[in-house]
Amino acid sequence: MMLLDITTLIGHLHPVVVHLPIGFLALAILFELLSYFKKFEQLKIAIPITIFVGFITAVLSCIFGYLLSLGGEYELSQINNHKIAGITLAVASGLLFISTTDFVKKIFSIPRLIFSSLCVVVLLIMIYTGHQGGSLTHGSDYLSIKLINEPIRKKPSSVAEALLFEDIVQPILIQRCGQCHREGKMKGQFSVQTLETLLKGGKTRAAIVAGSLNKSELFNRITLDPSNEKYMPADGKTPLTKAEIEIIQWWIEKGLATKGKKIAELKVNPEIQSKIAAVLGIGNSTAVSETAITENSKINPEITALSNTALIDSLRNKGVNVRLMLHQPVMLDITIPPGMSASINSIKPILQSIAKNVIWLNLSNNGLTDNDLDFLAGMTNLEKLRLEKNPITDKILTQLSGLKHLEAVNLNETNVSEAGIEKLKQVPGIKRVYQWKEGK
Amino acid sequence: MSDHHHEPFKFTTPELDQIKKKWDRRNFLTKTSLGIGAVALGSLIGKNLLGKAAGSMAAEGSAASLEEEILRAIPHFAPKAKRVVYLFMSGGPSQIETFDYKPKLVDMFGQALPDSVRQGQRLTSMSSNQSILPIVPSIYKFNQHGQSQTWISEMLPHTAEVVDDLCIIKSIHSEAINHDPAITFFQTGNQLPGRASIGSWVSYGLGSDNKNLPSFIVLVSKNASKDQPLYSRLWGNGFLPTEHQGVQFRSGKDPVLFLDNPEGYDGTDRKEMLDYLSKLSTLQNDAYGDPEVDARIAQYEMAFRMQTSIPEVMSTADETDEVFDLYGPDSRDPGSYASNCILARKLLEKDVKFVQLYHQGWDHHGGLPQGMAKQCKDTDQPTAAFIKDLKRRGLLEDTLVIWGGEFGRTVYSQGKLKPDDYGRDHHPRCFTMWMAGAGVKPGISYGETDDFSYNVVKDPVHVHDFHATLLHILGVDHERLTYKFQGRRFRLTDVEGKVVREILS
Repeated sequence: MMLLDITTLIGHLHPVVVHLPIGFLALAILFELLSYFKKFEQLKIAIPITIFVGFITAVLSCIFGYLLSLGGEYELSQINNHKIAGITLAVASGLLFISTTDFVKKIFSIPRLIFSSLCVVVLLIMIYTGHQGGSLTHGSDYLSIKLINEPIRKKPSSVAEALLFEDIVQPILIQRCGQCHREGKMKGQFSVQTLETLLKGGKTRAAIVAGSLNKSELFNRITLDPSNEKYMPADGKTPLTKAEIEIIQWWIEKGLATKGKKIAELKVNPEIQSKIAAVLGIGNSTAVSETAITENSKINPEITALSNTALIDSLRNKGVNVRLMLHQPVMLDITIPPGMSASINSIKPILQSIAKNVIWLNLSNNGLTDNDLDFLAGMTNLEKLRLEKNPITDKILTQLSGLKHLEAVNLNETNVSEAGIEKLKQVPGIKRVYQWKEGK
Repeated sequence: MSDHHHEPFKFTTPELDQIKKKWDRRNFLTKTSLGIGAVALGSLIGKNLLGKAAGSMAAEGSAASLEEEILRAIPHFAPKAKRVVYLFMSGGPSQIETFDYKPKLVDMFGQALPDSVRQGQRLTSMSSNQSILPIVPSIYKFNQHGQSQTWISEMLPHTAEVVDDLCIIKSIHSEAINHDPAITFFQTGNQLPGRASIGSWVSYGLGSDNKNLPSFIVLVSKNASKDQPLYSRLWGNGFLPTEHQGVQFRSGKDPVLFLDNPEGYDGTDRKEMLDYLSKLSTLQNDAYGDPEVDARIAQYEMAFRMQTSIPEVMSTADETDEVFDLYGPDSRDPGSYASNCILARKLLEKDVKFVQLYHQGWDHHGGLPQGMAKQCKDTDQPTAAFIKDLKRRGLLEDTLVIWGGEFGRTVYSQGKLKPDDYGRDHHPRCFTMWMAGAGVKPGISYGETDDFSYNVVKDPVHVHDFHATLLHILGVDHERLTYKFQGRRFRLTDVEGKVVREILS
């Protein structure tokens, strides 16, 4: 067992060690070509030893590579080309080295031009070997002409615009499963790359069956107990998150495993949508917990994501107290401390640009007049407003009548008239108006 | 002013240099062995030897940043309240004489408490050896009040006026049967001392909205019998950083001592001294990296800002007679419960996050009728006035008010039962609390007890549930506000607690 582990460990060194022969052989060829120039003539003497080191490391790479192939992570048929090319490279570089030794030179000296051409041949073998190896690790489509022709999907700008399969499910599967299940590696003869391969499935059965979680082997595997040997991703690779699993579940069950459909078209429920937003990293992508989702589903949907959070900092720098009530969407509770009426004009533009995100606002005791407060009408998502102890009059009420989310207005110790307050109370949505005056 | 204050400070004595070297070596070893060592070990052998544990080990390494991440995620949901006032009635007020109306007890006067009701419940040693546990009904009458037609004892006539603003929970229950563990449990979520108090958790999780005042302030009434002691750990920070501990204001004319500058010492001097001191502290902090140094710097700076903020907030000169009349005759006497209620309102107006009032004297093992009369007289009017005052000022809009003790009292009399005199022992299985203001439904009663006010029969609310609900109203998921200490993460609700959604508005 221990021995096996060591061979696996050494095998895993193959991808590291292969870079040594590449480097040394390339260096030797560079020396060879440079040595044609008078200035670099002295490099000639270094060529044999560089080729020799390249040869030794090439042999090591072959051995390590063989051990790696025993691990069974790759399909044998695909390894073959790489194996033959690698061995050829090692032999060729060995022969090249022997041709430079004094022993051989005495019997048969290769003309310079021929030697240089042989060097270039070795270089070509090396490039071929390297490409084959790269295709094994990264997939045969990693470096191919096809790539240029393939249309690249831009990251969708909103959840509604995103395509459920192409933008969300497919990237999740490729990220979590693609390392082993893709063209060129096809563990269990299964690839997650396209919807077609998903529907086709692998050795066992179809991976995805539209509308049926039980028949979908893929869903089965990712939701098994992690200690189960059939659990995927295997070998302790990063599992799918709960949110990702739920999105996939929704896609199979309700989305009927289709592709090319937008989230908006599919009528994805808000709970899944917020998870999709988190996966896409749209808005503030802090982790969203279960309770937070149910809790926040009651939130006013008109509150938009705040594009520029630097505005909050600039408000704070001006001495305004900004309390974050929620991250997603950004809900703000803003208090302008007493005695800041002088700077209201410099604060106003910032308030206007975040107006939709202000939910609670406290302007009390600031000596503000009706004209100072002409920005209130723009704060359409405002729920609680404190205006007490300001010399405002009935004029302010025109600002407030259009705020349909406004629930509570504090007008204690203002010059708003009794009649005005009665009128405000008639505005639908307003539940509480405060109009107390100290000492009365 | 001599100018050397501005020169950079250096340790130059040989002894100090020695210590410094020693510490540097230790620091080096600690940091390298734990840091680089663990990383190297983890990546080399972790995968084979430790298997999946390696992943979690890597996570441990970034504990500090995880704490930051936890704080950055708060609030977890939109908060309903941004301030809390907790009127703590220390000693265990009787639910039977206040809110939990049990008319059937009148016919059972003097009868022994049936075993079927007690169900083997443990009793304190103060009444466990009584030959009989005689049932005693409330000596006071109950009447219905408000639109909600809630039954309230005649001893609380003022509270009865605001009953439509209250959310009365009759089914709260605790685990501890004696004062110390019970009150520690209520304030920190654990019966044993050492955990952080509610206010500290709130301050730690939500920070401060007024940098000139502490975010957690404690006021203790002076006009109550000190039958059961209070101790500063009830508002202690436990393992949380020290700046989150509750700051107790003294009950009297000078709530905070030594705020005035000494003679011949002006504000500029003080500022200069503090700046230099914080430079020294920073130097020390660079060497040792002790978070308590940060806390100390923060506290010194807070004290400096309090020199101006406290006199302003403490002055009742601007209060009208009408306000004093509302809060009752005691309200002009600094340090009384009524006066503390006014003070609490002023602190809330300044956006102090968590204010806790303590009023002792509710531990009525004997002489309950007289005891209750005094307690209710001292607290009923100010409490109701507090609610009314907050309401008319619009502060109840975003403030949560809590009233309650650490446990309730037994339905049976402790000691000799006379028609006009009796006592009641500690009873943790059910008692009454109320909340009011932001986040809770007004004018409702939640939970029910049996005819003896002995067991909860409907909708029990455990202390952990109360904590979970309190944090929820502030926008905090009680399961996600954690702090790592001694190798594990702690929460206010530890591993329990369920938000009581039915009372949320």
